[in-house]
Amino acid sequence: MAGVMQKFLIASMFMWILPIAILYGFNHDLLPGSTTLSPHSLTILSGFLAVVSVNVVIVFYICLALKEPTDKHKPDASFVAEAKDSVKKLTSGVPSTDPALKKQE
Amino acid sequence: MSGVVVGLGHASSWGAALVRISPYTFSAIGIAISIGVSVLGAAWGIYITGSSLIGAAIEAPRITSKNLISVIFCEAVAIYGVIVAIILQTKLESVPSSKMYDAESLRAGYAIFASGIIVGFANLVCGSVSYPFSFLTVLVFEFHCQICKPSSHFFCRLCVGIIGSSCALSDAQNSTLFVKILVIEIFGSALGLFGVIVGIIMSAQATWPTK
Repeated sequence: MAGVMQKFLIASMFMWILPIAILYGFNHDLLPGSTTLSPHSLTILSGFLAVVSVNVVIVFYICLALKEPTDKHKPDASFVAEAKDSVKKLTSGVPSTDPALKKQE
Repeated sequence: MSGVVVGLGHASSWGAALVRISPYTFSAIGIAISIGVSVLGAAWGIYITGSSLIGAAIEAPRITSKNLISVIFCEAVAIYGVIVAIILQTKLESVPSSKMYDAESLRAGYAIFASGIIVGFANLVCGSVSYPFSFLTVLVFEFHCQICKPSSHFFCRLCVGIIGSSCALSDAQNSTLFVKILVIEIFGSALGLFGVIVGIIMSAQATWPTK
């Protein structure tokens, strides 16, 4: 459970930080080539890159989450042993001392 | 509604009154709506999804890690609203008051307003409608075989009809259906994405008149 929460929180953090960092970089000319663009194309490019980065983080998280092993239902060992025992006794026809079976009879 | 305009300062019709509202009012309202209403949609989606997830995890704890994907999708909707709000506020520029009611600055104000409304309401619908319903069907299929037949048919009647799968198919094995319903959720997330794309393109043409 802790691993699940950790992955979720890290993915959420990235989902927030990455697009805002991209927008900040474009608006304050931190990224190379952002000064040569007209304001029209600057808006469109920065907006699309930010949206794409959010979707990239989502795809990463989906891959991580789908790779997690689903726990198979582990049957209780003593219950399985008792069940096998009773089936064996029924099929072989030996009268057993099992109180449950006696009650059934 | 007579459209008689007597002079610049004595207009008496609704149209003239609207034109005298500062374009900055419209821009500010647009920015507020873009983030406010998107976050409302995302929060609603997370509320419905999260409460069902926690309730269902009592019965079947294995579903939590995969179904957190739905919560991440809803959160992405909120982030789209934030992205567009940041983009829109960089589009606000000061114009001298002589040019504040020019056609071009009114156009810029309306473009920012429209962009904000587009993004806000597209994300509202995307977040609050598509994710909870697709998530509910995932839940129904995920732990169908652990609950008895009558109640499962009841759940099927409630949720499944919305996404469109038939109740008779739900006797199949559960976990494999998750990926298929995830595909439907991706289509639902595309609704918010359409709104964001149109909003960004709309805001790119908001140019104020130069001094």
